[in-house]
Formats: sequence, structure tokens, C-alpha cells
Amino acid sequence: MRGHMRMGPPHIRPGMPFRSFIPHIPFDLVQCESAFPKARPVPDEKAFTEALLKRNNDLTPNAVEQASILALVTKMQSILDNLVIVPGSFDAAQLEEVRQVGSFKKGTMMASCNIADIVVMFKTLPTKEAVAALGNKVLEELKVQDPNEVLSMLTNDTGFEISSADASVKCLVATIPPNLKKLDPALHMDGKVMHGHLAAVRHARWFEENAVHSSIKVLIRLLRDLRMRFEGLQPLTPWIIDLLSHFAVMNNPSRQPLAINCAFKRCLQLLAAGFFLPGSVGITDPCEQGTVRIHTVMTLEQQDQVCYTAQTLLRVLSHGGYKQILGMEGNASDISGIATEMSVWEGVVVTPSDRAYEKPVQKEGEDVDGEGADDEVMETADTA
Amino acid sequence: MAHFVYPAASPAQPTAAYPAAQAAYVAAAPQAAYATATPRAGLTYEAYPAAHATPQYAYATRTQVAVTPAVTYDQTKTYYQPAQATAYTAAETHYQAAKPVYSTGTAYNTAQRQATQPKAQALQVTTSGTTYVYGTAAAPAVTTYPQTNYTATTTTQAAGYETALYTAATSYYQQQQAAKVTGAQWIAKKPGGPFKPKPKGPPKQPQLHYCDVCKISCAGPQTYREHLEGQKHKKKEQATKGVAAPAARGGHNQLRCELCDVTCTGADAYAAHIRGAKHTKVMKLHTKLGKPIPSTDPVIVANSSASTTTTAKVTTGTSVTSAKVVKPPVVAGVKKVLAAPKITFVGGTQLKTTGTKAEEVKVQPMKTDPTPAVTITSVEKAMSDDGDKFNILGEKDVAPVGHEYIEEVKNEIGKVVSFNCKLCECKFNDPNAKEMHLKGRRHRLQYKKKVDPNLLVEVKPSIRARKVQEEKLRRQAQKEEFWQRRVQEERWRDEMRMEEEMYWEHQRRYEMMEYFEWHRMGGPPGMMPPRFPGPMGPGPMMRRPDTSDDRHVMAKHTSIYPTEAELQAVQSIVSSCERGLKLVSDFLAESDAPKTSEPVKKPEPAKKEVKAKVPAKAEPKKPAEVKKETEVKDVKEETKKKEEAPPAPRVLKGVMRVGVLAKGLLLHGDLNVHLVVLCSEKPTRTMLERVADGLGKQLATSEDKYEIRRCVEEAAIIVTSDKEPKTSCIITLTSPVMRESADREGETVSVKDPPDVLDRQKCLDALAALRHAKWFQARANGLPSCVIVIRILRDLCQRVPTWTPLEEWAMELLAEKCVSSGGGLGPGDSLRRTFECIASGILLPGGPGLYDPCEKEPTDAAASLTNQQREEITASAQHALRLIAFRQIHKVLGMDPLPPPRFQRQRFNPRKRRRTTSAGGDADGDVAGEKKDKKDEGEAGMDTGDN
Repeated sequence: MRGHMRMGPPHIRPGMPFRSFIPHIPFDLVQCESAFPKARPVPDEKAFTEALLKRNNDLTPNAVEQASILALVTKMQSILDNLVIVPGSFDAAQLEEVRQVGSFKKGTMMASCNIADIVVMFKTLPTKEAVAALGNKVLEELKVQDPNEVLSMLTNDTGFEISSADASVKCLVATIPPNLKKLDPALHMDGKVMHGHLAAVRHARWFEENAVHSSIKVLIRLLRDLRMRFEGLQPLTPWIIDLLSHFAVMNNPSRQPLAINCAFKRCLQLLAAGFFLPGSVGITDPCEQGTVRIHTVMTLEQQDQVCYTAQTLLRVLSHGGYKQILGMEGNASDISGIATEMSVWEGVVVTPSDRAYEKPVQKEGEDVDGEGADDEVMETADTA
Repeated sequence: MAHFVYPAASPAQPTAAYPAAQAAYVAAAPQAAYATATPRAGLTYEAYPAAHATPQYAYATRTQVAVTPAVTYDQTKTYYQPAQATAYTAAETHYQAAKPVYSTGTAYNTAQRQATQPKAQALQVTTSGTTYVYGTAAAPAVTTYPQTNYTATTTTQAAGYETALYTAATSYYQQQQAAKVTGAQWIAKKPGGPFKPKPKGPPKQPQLHYCDVCKISCAGPQTYREHLEGQKHKKKEQATKGVAAPAARGGHNQLRCELCDVTCTGADAYAAHIRGAKHTKVMKLHTKLGKPIPSTDPVIVANSSASTTTTAKVTTGTSVTSAKVVKPPVVAGVKKVLAAPKITFVGGTQLKTTGTKAEEVKVQPMKTDPTPAVTITSVEKAMSDDGDKFNILGEKDVAPVGHEYIEEVKNEIGKVVSFNCKLCECKFNDPNAKEMHLKGRRHRLQYKKKVDPNLLVEVKPSIRARKVQEEKLRRQAQKEEFWQRRVQEERWRDEMRMEEEMYWEHQRRYEMMEYFEWHRMGGPPGMMPPRFPGPMGPGPMMRRPDTSDDRHVMAKHTSIYPTEAELQAVQSIVSSCERGLKLVSDFLAESDAPKTSEPVKKPEPAKKEVKAKVPAKAEPKKPAEVKKETEVKDVKEETKKKEEAPPAPRVLKGVMRVGVLAKGLLLHGDLNVHLVVLCSEKPTRTMLERVADGLGKQLATSEDKYEIRRCVEEAAIIVTSDKEPKTSCIITLTSPVMRESADREGETVSVKDPPDVLDRQKCLDALAALRHAKWFQARANGLPSCVIVIRILRDLCQRVPTWTPLEEWAMELLAEKCVSSGGGLGPGDSLRRTFECIASGILLPGGPGLYDPCEKEPTDAAASLTNQQREEITASAQHALRLIAFRQIHKVLGMDPLPPPRFQRQRFNPRKRRRTTSAGGDADGDVAGEKKDKKDEGEAGMDTGDN
């Protein structure tokens, strides 16, 4: 809902009494390093870097996994491509375009999560029946190609998913933009979901053009892992992680990619410095029109949560707790313990940060809420 | 320089135009003009009123001439001949090129004479009632004759210049034009000459009643007269006279049939006209009359004014080159020129604007009539349009489509009587019309719509677009006119250099000076400097609007700022101590005088300065500035001392403020201030005693009561006042020598320290404090909102136990780094940024540390913090940051986790009220704005609808 509201064209006010919103640029040590010359010897971070690389290795899917997913994706891509080129063989729908998106396309797949995404763009209106028919069609073709393979097809809200024994491909259904206005929720796929799929296509393209550096990919994998293991970081979406990683690696005065250990630490520093807090400029979404700050997809509570989790992790990291942060030590059941419970590192007691966000009191509900993250959005909503 | 004689010799009114003409000649001789630039200016100034008078003069001549053409002739003669004489006598050598022209001019004059006389005859002829060509031409001719005369003469002049300045190409062009356009006309008249005697005798052939304007013949005199009085003829006549002759459709090039004086919109229309009955009729008539028939080649006309100008110009050419020819040509020329005589004139002048000589001449007519400027542009435009006339023809050349949809309608005999286009559902009787229709846009559009969608139909600019285009042209013309005028004015100003002008210039300069004077003096506070004449830019920079954070921070800042009484108390104790120490220093110096008598005087002036400054600073809020002065002096002193080390100076070299006092960071309740006394040698216990004793004696004399304690272990004397509020001043003795020994400490302790030297660390700390104060004044004081943030943080450090371990110096450094790297943030954002910095782990182990700019080696200013303290401060800052982000800055600033309701109301209420009111205003403004918008849109829509 929130996201959708933001999609609308920005409301331009003719009058003067509008108080312009000027976002705050949060502190970023890398950007103003010159103001902070080193007064202390740089600690040796070799072990930390090695740990990061090792962790990345563990997170990268192994050759077998990669091969199986690649095989499945290639087969499906060719089947769907055929349907695009020769529409006659399938009459339930016409396809406009088939594109690989997501972590498979970006090369940021995680081990044990062998799922690739393909966006199938319909030229016709995507009815639920057409989607199911397409799924069955693809499944049939796959079975024709290799009758022995065990495959399953399931339709869902986003499209359909075809799974083999150790890999699965999600076909995300979208339609050409002119069709989006003609959708009927009773007949067709959900418009918002399809908007998301179109955005995924844009994201994949942006990534291909801007974020091919392998440091970025490694960092994305590490952050995704972090997100999975620390509950407080759950609100970070894959797209936010992509952009944050790109920002942390590339956005520095020299414009040269940062080393992975610096970039990883910088991510935590940025988050801890309130990069994704209300009022902060954050990162502007490069794939949306206008200035959409990506962190505004999170609720205020989530923004607070992400921030304080990162703050605690940063302190743990500074006191030498990188192994715990990377999940190389400590048992699996206690995954997010360090972020929520008091811990001791070399005699230093680290107390986890607590939330600062308070749910607005009922009486002045709108008021405080309106002053929250999205001044401009809320005001737009008020006056619209 | 004979020509200077002329204006003086002939200032008479009748020949008012004469000086101007003379000026032109002056200009024609460039050397002379340049050599006598200043006198010329004077002359032209004199000529100015004369030029102004010109219009009247012109009119006068006109009316005069209307009565008696002979007068005009005479005048022109007198007008011209002396001019020529001048030209020849004054600048004979320069006039080689111009010479022939002038002779032509004379020739013209004679031609004029010839022309005038027959004219009179012609008039008589008219009165005699003969219905011949001249009859019709007579009426306009009489009235406009002088005009022509006037124009013609000046044109001759202009043309003369032209010939002189331009190559033969120009005249060739004109001749060509003449041959093309009016050539036909005057040739047409020529045979009229021989015929002329005939009206006197009985006409041999059946009389023809031919109207030259309408190109028709009438059956009899009755019809002819009727025709002459008719609407149609009048209109035509008017059209020939007026500038806008045929109502040409704006911007479109047209084809014109010279014979019938008909303009056609396209080649096809023209062809149809040529084939048409009317044209044939006129042709027949002309053949019958023996009038020459112009070729059927179309004449391309850009627009109406262009057509007239071309003709006019051509006339000039004709009259100049072949002025000696018999009168009819002249008359013919006249006839054409009447339309817009001035155009000819200006057009002629315009051609040689490059030559400065012509300009003086031009000025005069320009003044008389503002229209020429417009005409010029139209002439130019016409010429440019002439350039693209051919592509218009090309454009029209489209293949007809859809023959098969034309139905031929036949009558009973089988003769085709009409055509019917099935596509467009329209009928034509004429095969020509059919052809045109097939090529026409409407038909093509229909064809495209109904038959072949791939057919290309040229895009016709919509009415709206055309209007826009026209508007654009009009604006351009206006702009050009404006510039023309500007240029003119400029020239006037240049030439006039009037005293008035000078006067104003002077006045303005005077005002400016006054203004700058104000600025230099800084202007008394509270008074506005006189307004500076001229545009003033908006404010130097856009200020970010005050946020709620800003307001909170400022409110907090006000509450922690020391009260006036506190500031007064601190001020009095500090000044007492400083005064006392100065006297002690004097006393010590005196008592040590036998040893070092020479240099005692030296530091004196510096000291005096200090003293003088102290009482001078009335407002205690800015002790820092004064301090700075003192310090600078002291530093100088110090260096001086180092240079001339051997002659030992006075023992107490100076007193300086350090710490919060020097930095201006005093908070509410801060009543302990620090002073540092710099000694020339290592301070000892004995020295401390001596100073304390002396100070005690000095302070005893002052009106306030002070208590003095010695604190040897602190290397300090503590002065406290009894009065409320209780203030105290800690005076630390130190010496730069202490630092030097500290540096060398490792190697040797060769320096013979006195046995009772004071604690070294304390002395070093005092020196560091001195450096910190200097750094602060240099860096932090100038930064907007930096001092505010530091005060707030000081308060935080005093209030919150977690923050207490953070040293003030480290905190100041940190805040300064954050604020300076943030780039001009408001107080609220600056505070947030500082918390962000700490939250991002700047203090945590592994961070870069706080580099101390006041130490030689890289030193962490916050080195004293333990890891646990760092952790806690960071955690606290992180929480504070999120509180600020979630609009709970009061929790960060307030002392208590749950601020008392009084506080909260204070914090919340103004904010809330403001918010609601602003929101209300917002909404109102919005609604109104939206309504307005909608209205605007509606109007716009209607506008377009109308179109």
C-alpha cells in the first residue's frame, strides 16, 4: 500500500506554504576520511578478510548445484523463447519477452537456495488460466526433452514454479505496461505483483550495467547471509541489499572499489549511522522515476530495527566478534543471540541497542505519524 | 576644413536639412571626420535641433509644393547645388568615386525640371476632360508629386552613395529588377507618349475606356465613370496605394500575374489563371491597346510589402540610371512609389549602413518617422524570402492521386460538363479545378484515409501554429525595431555628450561613493545603509528551513547559556586578575631591574595593549576576540624572546585565558575559569609564592574582595570571589621552556632545573590548553553552529555519566570535524551528524581515533578512554541518533529520561501549534492553488477550443 502510494506522480504544489523536505546526509567516514586522519595504528584485519572470503565461499552454491540450476534455466529459457518466436504453438496467451532476473541473473545465488527467476512478459492479458496453461505447456515440453526427469509445476500468486530434484525456476508473470491498466483482479494476476516483476527486470538490467564488480557480489552474498541470520535485518529487501552493497563498494572519493573487509564494515557503519533512518537521504532508487529513497519501503519500526541491529553488530565487530557475526562460531540455534543479548568481548560488555521508535500515541496519531519517515509522502496523502 | 564653414554660414530655417546633409558629407570624408572628432561632436549637437525641426520642414515643403510644383524644383535645386559645391570644394580628393554620382544627381535635377513641366501640362489635359491614362493618374499625381520629389531627391543622394560604396553588382541587380518588374510598366506607358497628342485630335480607333488600375476596359464613358466611382475600383486603388496591397495570406509565397495584377497561391492556380477567361480577356484588351504584354512567367511575391519595395527600389534605379529619359517613365515610377515613398528612401539608406557616412543622413529621416524601422525589416525579410521562393514551387509539385475516383458528368450530348470526386464528394465544372483538386491537400487526406494509408500528405501547419509563427515574426520585428532604436539612441548619446548626461554620471558616482563609504565604516548597528542603486541579488545562500530539531537545539542552547549576571561576575574576576597580574609583572620586572634594565621596556607596550583592551571590551560575551589579540601579541613576544634569548626579559611575560573562557564555551553554572601566566623561565615554587603575594596585594586594592589560595601541586594560584555568584579563577604558571626540556628529556637532564620547579605535567597541560584555545579560535569559532553543538555536548558530558569520560578537548575536536565536514548544516543537523559519527564507531577500537592537530606526533585525543567507555559512549550515541531520527530529540537534550511535563509542554507545544497551523495553511493554500490550477486549465482548454 505504502509503496503503491509512492508510485504516483509527485504532487506539485503551486502555493508557497510548503515546507520543502531536504534530506539529511548521514555521516559516512569513507566520504570524509580527510577530516579524520589516522591517529592510531590501523589494526590488522587480515584474519577478518580471510574469514569474509571463506564465508563467501561457503555461501556460494557448489558446482553441482550451479550446473543443475543452469541446465534447468537454459531449458526453460529456450522453451519460452520458442513460444515468443512462434506464438502459434501455444494459444492460451502470447508472450512478449522472457528475461532472467534475480540472484541467478546477477550471479549472487546463495548455496542451498537453488532458485532462479525468470520474468515472462505476456502480450495478452495474463489470466490465471493462461498462466497455468503456460506452466503446463512448459512442463510438457520439458518432459518431452527429458522424459526421465522428475519435475513438478506449481502455480502461485506470482506465476508458476517448476522444480526438479535439486533446482527450481520461478516463472514470474508480467505483462506489457499498456495492459496493466486493463487488469481485472478477479480474472488476472495481481497488478502490483506484476509491477514488481517489471521492476525486477529493470533491476537486473541496472545490475548488469553497474554492479558487475565481484566485490559487490561477494558483499551482497555476505549481507544476505547476515539478513538471514539476524532477525533485525529481515526488513532489508534484496534490492536494498544490492544497492547498499554497490554504494558501499563503489561510492567513495576515489571511485575505486573498496576492499571487501572495508566495504563490509562500511555497510554496518552506514546502517549504524542512520543511513536508512527517517530524514536520511539514503539511496535514491535508480530504477524508479523521481526520487524514491529505497529505505522508505520499510516501516518506521523496521527502519529502527535495522538500525539498532546494525549498531549492535558494529560494536560487536569492533570488539573482535567477527566470527560470530559471520556465523562461523556459535551454534545454529543461537543465531541472533549477539544482536539481542548482552555479550562480553575481551572484558568489554556489549549491551544490545534497544528500539527508539515509539508507536504514536493514539490521540496525536496522525500528527506524529505524519512527521515520520515520509514527510512528503504523508503530506501528499493528506492533501490528495 | 572648409566644410566647417558651412553649418555656421547657413543656419537658416528653410534649409534646415542642410546641415544634416552637410554632416553627411563630412562623414563621407573619413579622414576629416576622424581628425576633427571633437569639433564635429559640437557641430552635430548644434545640428540636433535642426534635425528635430526637419519633419515640419518636410511637411511645409510638401504643402508648398502641392500648390506650386515649381517651388519644389527651385528648392531642390538650391538644396542640391551648394551641397555639390561643398562636396567638391571641401573634399575633392576624396570624392573621386562619388563624383559621377553627383553628376547623375544633377542630371536628375534636370530631368526633374523636364518632368515637372509636362506634368503641369498633364494636369491641364485632365481638366480638359480627355479621358486618357493621365486622367486617372492625375489625381494622385498632384497630391503626391512633391512627395515623390522629396523622396526621389533623397534617394538619389542615397543611391549616389550606394554607387560609390557598392560595386556594380548592386546596380546590375537593380537594373535586372527594373527590367523584370517595373520595366514592363514604364514601357507600357512609353507608347502612351506618342498617343498623348491624340486625345487632342479626334481618336481614330473606337475609344477605349481602359482602367489601368483594374485592367479592364469599359464600353463607354458612362460605364467608365461608374466604374471609377465603384466600390471595386476604389478598393483596388486603395490597395495599390496602401502598403499592404493584395491581401496576401501571411507568410505564403505567391505567384503573381503581372498582366492582370492577380496573385495566385500556387503554380496550379496560376496555370489555371493563365488559362482562364479573365486573363485571356485582359490579354486581348492589352493587345488591342497595343500595350506590351508581360511574359506569362509568374512573378514570385513573398508578401505585399516586399512587392512594393522591390518596385520602389527599382524605381530608384530607373530614375538614377535613366533619369534623362522622357517624363512618362518618371511618372510611372512615381505611380509605383506613391505606395510607400519612405520605404524607398530607407531601403536605399539601409543598403549602406556599413558606411558610417550615410548614417548622419539617416538620422534625420529616422526622427521624422518611426515606421522606416519596420519597413527595413520587411525589406530584408522580403529579400530573404526571395531566396526560398523556388522550393515553394518544388513543394507544390505533387503527383495527383486518385484519378479513378473522379466521375465525369456528361450532359445529354455527351460533353463533359462537370466532375465529381467520389472521395471528397465535391463537384467541379472546370478541368483545371479538377486537376488542382487531385493535387490538393484535402483530396490527398481523403485518399489517405480511404484508400492508401501510406500516402504522404504534407503537414499543414494548423491555424494555431500559423498564428504562433506570425506572432513570432511580429515579435522579432518588434525586437529589431527596439534594437534599431537602441542603436540610434546610443549613437545620439555618443554624439551629444551632453552636459546633462555628465551631470547625472557625476551624481551617480557620488552616490556610489557614499554607499561604499558606509560599507567601509561598517555602518552603525541597527541602521540600514543607504540603498545601493542597482540590482541586489537575493540572499547569499538558501537557508534550510528551521527544523524541529533546530528549534529544540536552540531552545536547549538558550537554557544552558550562562546568565548575564554570571557573565558579569566571570568578567570582573578575570579582568581583576589580569590587571593584578600585570601590575605584579611590572613590580617583578622593577625589582629585577638592576639585572636586566634594558629589555624591561620592551614587552611594555604589549602589556599595555592587553590592559587597554580588557576594559575596552564592554560585552563579556566575546572574550575570545580580545583574548586572541593578547595571544597574538604574546606569541610575537615569545618568538622575539627566542631570537634574543640572552637578555633575560621580565619574569612574567603575559597572561592568557584558556579553556572554556577562551573558547567562549561557558555554560550556565560555569564559574571556574582558567588563566595561564607565561613565564620566561621555568616556574618555581618561589616564583609562585612571589606572584601570589604580589597578586594578593594588588587585588586587595580593588573594590571586590578576593581570596587567594596557592596550590603548588597544581602549579596554580586560585582566586575566588566572595560575592554571589561565587566565581573562581585558576591561574596556572607555565613556560614554553618546559616543553623544550620535555622533548629532550630522554637523552639528558643537562638543563639545570631549579630545585623547586613546579610539576611539569601541569605546566605542559597549561601549554596544551593554550594551543587548544588558539586552535579553537582559528577553527571552531568561525564554523556556524559548531559552538552551539559543542555547548550542547558539553552539557551532555556534564549531565550523562556515560559521556563524562569523554574529554572536552576530544569532544571539541570531534564536533569540529563533524560539523566542518558536513558543509554548512543547521544546529539540529550538526548535532545529528555528530551523533552519527560516534554511532558509526569513530571512537570504537579499530577506528581511526581523533587526530590531535595541536600535537607534533599523531596523537589520539581520546586515547584516555577505555574500551568499555568507548563502547558505552558509542551505544549511547547510537540510541541518541535514533531518538533524534524518530523525533524524540528532547530525550537526548533533556536531563531526564522522562522529561518533566513542564519541559515537555514547552518542547511540544510550540512545535505542535506550529505544525498544525502550518499544516492548515498548507491545506488551504493547496486547495486554493488546486482550484486555481483547475480554473487555469479550464481556461486554457476553452482557448484551444476557440481556436
